[in-house]
Amino acid sequence: MRWWAKRWIGLGAALAVVLTAAPADAQVKIRFQTWHWGETPWVKSLEEFQQTFNAANPGIQVVRDDSRYADKEAVFITQSQAKAAADIPHFSYRAIRHLADRGFLLDLTPFVEKEGGAQYLAQWDQAALEMCRYKGKLYCLPDDLNPLVLMYNTGHFREAGLDPAKPPTTWPEFLDYAKKLTRDTDNDGKIDRWGVGVIGARQEGLFMRFNPWLWGAGGDYLTPDGKRSALDTAEAIEGFRWYAELFTRHKVVPPGVIEQGAQEVRTQLAHGKVSMIITLPAAVGIVQAINPKLNVREVMALAPVPVGKQKVTSAWFSMRVISTSAKNPDAAWKVYKAWHEKDQQMRNFRIAGVLSTRLDVKNSPEVKNDKFAKVFSAQTPYVKWEPLLAEWPKIGDAMITAVQEALTGVKPPEQALKDAHAATNRALGL
Amino acid sequence: MRVGRTWHDRHLGVLFVLPATVMLVAVLVFPAAVTLKLSLSPEGGLASWTLTLGHYRAAFTDPVLAQAFRNTFAFVAASLVGHLLLGLGLALALNQALPGQTLFRLVALVPWTIPDVVAGIVFRWVFNPVHGSLNPLLQQLIPGFPPDFSWLSSPALAFPSVIFANVWRGYPLVMVMLLAGLMAIPRELYEAAAVDGAGRVRRFLHVTLPGLSTIILVALALDMVWEFRRFALVLTMTGGGPGTLTEVLSTLVYKSYFQFFTFEYASAVAILMSAVLFVLSVPYIVLVGRERT
Repeated sequence: MRWWAKRWIGLGAALAVVLTAAPADAQVKIRFQTWHWGETPWVKSLEEFQQTFNAANPGIQVVRDDSRYADKEAVFITQSQAKAAADIPHFSYRAIRHLADRGFLLDLTPFVEKEGGAQYLAQWDQAALEMCRYKGKLYCLPDDLNPLVLMYNTGHFREAGLDPAKPPTTWPEFLDYAKKLTRDTDNDGKIDRWGVGVIGARQEGLFMRFNPWLWGAGGDYLTPDGKRSALDTAEAIEGFRWYAELFTRHKVVPPGVIEQGAQEVRTQLAHGKVSMIITLPAAVGIVQAINPKLNVREVMALAPVPVGKQKVTSAWFSMRVISTSAKNPDAAWKVYKAWHEKDQQMRNFRIAGVLSTRLDVKNSPEVKNDKFAKVFSAQTPYVKWEPLLAEWPKIGDAMITAVQEALTGVKPPEQALKDAHAATNRALGL
Repeated sequence: MRVGRTWHDRHLGVLFVLPATVMLVAVLVFPAAVTLKLSLSPEGGLASWTLTLGHYRAAFTDPVLAQAFRNTFAFVAASLVGHLLLGLGLALALNQALPGQTLFRLVALVPWTIPDVVAGIVFRWVFNPVHGSLNPLLQQLIPGFPPDFSWLSSPALAFPSVIFANVWRGYPLVMVMLLAGLMAIPRELYEAAAVDGAGRVRRFLHVTLPGLSTIILVALALDMVWEFRRFALVLTMTGGGPGTLTEVLSTLVYKSYFQFFTFEYASAVAILMSAVLFVLSVPYIVLVGRERT
């Protein structure tokens, strides 16, 4: 080999060593992913967690990783397939089993065993904890569990001659109130305020608002053995009609209902376009952030979801998980554990208003005596869940299709639900 | 003559195309092969070599997929007509020697610079019956127009509304191609036709259209491929609703993969979609091939 060739090879080898050497900064970065980074009430809580943890753990750095609520699963699946997912992502309970089945979630059992096993887990609401167990493994610690209630504008109640201290308790009363609250406030001959904000957009949030009507009428998605659709029962049709006819027949819902998602409906409440919505504890802070001029804690009041034949409500339940693509699972667990400790969960309540599943937070005097939190907490015994089946996403999608078809008149409610019944049975392989 | 050719001479060409070939295999062939394999795998069975046609069988009996195919064809056809009419009209206008011609040409390109997601969100708000800008505008123009008229919530108008937004979003591609074609038609042909007594309409029919025919076909063939895959605009405007009235193939694949977690079924639908798209692309491939020969 000639002398110049040897030099070039030597230079190339030296460059390769320099370029591939480990960086001097050996700090472990843990990507903490949530869609809440963009929500004003949450940002403070998240940033305080990030700063507190990073200051106390110089070897680990929690870094912000944003995801959008609507495509959080899409982002995580894509990143997981590339083995580059965030270390600690955030989901609702509906996604956990599907993601676990695909091998994207880390079994937390070994970490929990090191912390004391059953004694460590006894700190959480056991029913909520069960939702994290799947096929003998533990995929999460439960985070916030928030029953849905009715939020209403007391000022609008007074303007319509309704007593804010006596919110509607039954469906007929709810409809009566909604009709009285639907008004032309500037006397130009056009309705400009509606009694109730209803979600009709194709999103996860629709189920939570729709389920109390389906279940409240005595209906359900599936038969008790979970093997067939139960959407053809008279009770299911009754609940379905109630929800759809608020818009189609009684006109107590703003136009464009299938364009309204949870955030649009909260925006309508914040700006006085609607008077009542069915919502979550976090909505208190979100509505306040949407309209800072509104004193939400004074103007808004909460009440249980009006009752049909059965007292029942649905709930928002979310949890963090650790991804199997986490490069440093021990560091990820350290961050994960810190997020679920009492101080942070209490901070989440104080700042974002969410209810923790940690018993010491849930049963603390501060939570129990809070004007709004106690209304939400009182509904916990009435919470019901959608069926946790592999086929649920398809069944849920069939129901959203039916709701949209009924709301827009594509089909009469009976036909729309009949088609959802058939689609549900198809999804179940029948 | 082969005498004197070295190894370099014989293989240099291969070396030149190697990086591009590796890149194509990495970003095109490999993902396509994985998707094909996934579409033939039983649920959760990508790692094994057990193959099944079950997902294709399920696809052929899925009523939502059938509707998505119909919707996609209608969406593509209507969008192509809109793009051609608007693109040709504007190309003709922008080919005139007008003051500020460059500025107008730039302005006409603006929709092409806007990402689909942004266009979808903007149009969703334009069409919103409570806060939107379209209804107040129509009320000014048409006395008695209902203030809360629903566009995207209307079974009859949701699809046309999405197509309208897509025509606005996508016409510049066709316009630019046709404008380039118009500029290439020799002025002498128009002058000769005028001398022969041809009016504006006859000049358009007998000079402009024949001069543009190949470009129109190429533009429409390319546009068809683009529109067949259109995803974000539909997803952000309607999410496929009301019900499944605006569901197109790309949104169905997305839903099946990321929302239903049925990766294998979604891959089968994606393969079917690619096959149809390939067949539809044949005229373009033939045209380009002819141009080269």
